[in-house]
Amino acid sequence: MIYIYSFLFAGAVSLIGQLILDNTKLTPGHITSMFVILGSALDIFNIYDLIVAHVGAGALVPITSFGHLLIHGGLVRASEVGYIGLAMGVFDLTASGITSAIFFAFIFSLFFRPKD
Amino acid sequence: MTSKYKDVYIASVGTVVGPYEHEGPLAKRFDKYYDDMYFGTDSLESAEVKLVNDSIDIALRKAKKEKSDIDLYIAGDLQNQIAASCYAAGKIERPFLGIYSACATNTEAMLLAANFIESKNCDNVLISVSSHNMVAEKQFRNPTEYGAPKPSTATFTATGGASSLLTNKKSKVRIESSTIGTPIDMNQTDPLDMGSVMAPAAAHTINRHLTDLGRTIDDYDLILTGDLGLYGKEILIDFMQDEYGIDISKKYNDCGVILYDLDNQKEVQAGGSGPVCSALVVYSDIIKKLEKKELKRVLYVATGALFNPTMVFQKENILSIAHAVSLESVE
Repeated sequence: MIYIYSFLFAGAVSLIGQLILDNTKLTPGHITSMFVILGSALDIFNIYDLIVAHVGAGALVPITSFGHLLIHGGLVRASEVGYIGLAMGVFDLTASGITSAIFFAFIFSLFFRPKD
Repeated sequence: MTSKYKDVYIASVGTVVGPYEHEGPLAKRFDKYYDDMYFGTDSLESAEVKLVNDSIDIALRKAKKEKSDIDLYIAGDLQNQIAASCYAAGKIERPFLGIYSACATNTEAMLLAANFIESKNCDNVLISVSSHNMVAEKQFRNPTEYGAPKPSTATFTATGGASSLLTNKKSKVRIESSTIGTPIDMNQTDPLDMGSVMAPAAAHTINRHLTDLGRTIDDYDLILTGDLGLYGKEILIDFMQDEYGIDISKKYNDCGVILYDLDNQKEVQAGGSGPVCSALVVYSDIIKKLEKKELKRVLYVATGALFNPTMVFQKENILSIAHAVSLESVE
């Protein structure tokens, strides 16, 4: 069952993205930002965790998961060290993703040139 | 402002294009083409400089002139600080004026050169325009790596360099008159729909030109706009009819639509754009038809969106401009 839920959830996120792209003047940059904010908003009351539990990778792969991880990291650290932890922990869970994006971008830029 | 000229002739032209233009219907008429977008240089920006210098060499060779014969060099492009033109000018080492009217740059260069020649300040004026698809995308829209899909109204910046040598010595084609356009603000803000931005500017300039010279559309064999694309072309026909009561539909075409095969080259969307787009079509096709007297008189109206990304981010409108040059076959 988790496979079907996973398929439906990720498909729904993509569908919303495509609808926005086709019917508004918003760019992919706007859309990904909106999804990140949506994912972080859903972390309140652990809604997104609940979704992940039922949907699995379908909820972890779309960019909404990035927003969820941002807030989640902040909340975890806040529970350990108090309010300052909100700012300290924001990038805890996403650090590996951001670091690898920068690292691989650098590596690939050494070997390849932009193409049309 | 409209001016008439007695002794301004086009001595020769040189055109160099990239791979997409070479797949288009005018492929065989360009002087030179390259298969990839770097043209053997290290960066896309220097690739554009190479395009300009190649086109200059071809234009001078055809006219049997040396660089030292050039009294004045006028050029413009789409890079920041018109870098491609400046670096190309640096290589030919002649008096240089860098100009910018976005995609209307070629007619601006032509009419400036015509004024210098008509006033007898110069004998030979060389003009160039260029644009490079990937440089312009990065500058005005989004980098290629961003991978953003585009609406069907978007135009495709042409890759190429085009130069021509204007002179006071008689040749087969002359510049007969010109009209300098006025910037127009139609409350447009979409950089992916330049046709709608520029069509009113073209209409305004065409009407100004006809009114100033007391002519009608029948005095021309062809009205040619720069790079309005498929949708902008329709808008201009409607706009001319509604606003000025002039029906141009039978004698009108757009260089952005001519340059590519719109049915088979889907990546160009609504058609070509960029300063070099109209220059490539006029130099490779229209001038040859004027030389053969298949056309007698053509009104070439290059259209430019005076689009600055920073101003658009700050919610300002996109202004547009169109400069017209009337080309005539010489008896």
